[in-house]
Amino acid sequence: ALVVVCSPLPRLRALLQRCWERLERGLWPGVLGGQSPPWGPALAVQGPVLLPQGINDARESSAEAPSLLESILWMAAPKKRRTVEVNRCRRRHPSKLIEVKRNIDVCPECGNLKQKHVLCGYCYAKVKAETRLIRMEMHKKEGGPFNAPTVETVVLYDGEKPSEKDEGKRIIERARKRPSWFVQN
Amino acid sequence: HCSFLSGAAWARGLLSWARPERWLASGSLFPLSCIHTSTSLQKIGKWEKKNRIVYPPQLPGEPRRPAEIYHCRREIKYSKDKMWYLAKLIKGMSIDQALAQLEFSDKKGAKVIKEVLLEAQELAVRKHNVEFKSNLHIAESLTGRGRYVKRIRCHGRGMFGIMKISRCHYFVKLVEGPPPPPEPPRTGFDQAKEYVQQLRNRTLVHTL
Repeated sequence: ALVVVCSPLPRLRALLQRCWERLERGLWPGVLGGQSPPWGPALAVQGPVLLPQGINDARESSAEAPSLLESILWMAAPKKRRTVEVNRCRRRHPSKLIEVKRNIDVCPECGNLKQKHVLCGYCYAKVKAETRLIRMEMHKKEGGPFNAPTVETVVLYDGEKPSEKDEGKRIIERARKRPSWFVQN
Repeated sequence: HCSFLSGAAWARGLLSWARPERWLASGSLFPLSCIHTSTSLQKIGKWEKKNRIVYPPQLPGEPRRPAEIYHCRREIKYSKDKMWYLAKLIKGMSIDQALAQLEFSDKKGAKVIKEVLLEAQELAVRKHNVEFKSNLHIAESLTGRGRYVKRIRCHGRGMFGIMKISRCHYFVKLVEGPPPPPEPPRTGFDQAKEYVQQLRNRTLVHTL
């Protein structure tokens, strides 16, 4: 719950203005009994009570731009408490329930579950870990930032020799067996 | 009442239990099995107690009673209404299908429910004599309200609101066997048939 405090005087002024409008329109004929118009309200109130001219001016000016404090009185508000049955009908409507996903398959490589349009999470994590180690080797070889060579890189595992195609390339050694998914050219 | 004992016999009877050598039998301390240890001071929930019921042995001709495993997790930091949608999703599914759906759900509660299901599966295989861990289906899955805590949330201009930090419990009952086939949806024809049957069941009351 938000705690809001506003001063009562503009509300009183608005009320008085509305009463005056009704009188002008002749909705209270019993009150208006042969008295010479225009006449102000017959109530004695405390605070800044405006003269009939003053009230008219205020009404004209407020009709142009209604202030925020007055428009609070015309805001939408719920009329009745929503019962729990009505709430349940809304919350349990089929459009709000979670749909059963039909695009789940088995990854042929590792056997874990994967979505059809997404890479397998396990295989991706496996490749990511190996890539991280290769990058660490590369950082060790370079020694510092901005030292990347202008030639290609080749990754060689245990017991592999660089072939004729890998003549001018940078060679990164990894001290393990070649993983089955990393195909050598 | 000790009215059946005479005066002297009563005094003797009183002092007889007060003898210390009856308590310390052959040098060992008297057993403390009647005193509670600290673990039983926590209130054990009703769902956890459902795992403790033991049925009498089945007669040779009876069909095999499927194994039931009750598992729950208490005080999960999630809303019970949001958790209910996930519980409704996996109601009536086989455990493999439920795990698949939860793995690819984006909700926070999906991770928690997946852990609970895996724990329950493990329990089933280890303790409840379930042969195949895939041969389980979810008979019931419920959420409950946990303990709420009220905190102050600051708005602008020095205003404040009171927010409640909600927690929930999650309960699941796994039953051995394939999942039951889903009920066919009620057609208009079924409703009409039921209505006609209700009309036919009417009789005269308070008459001869």
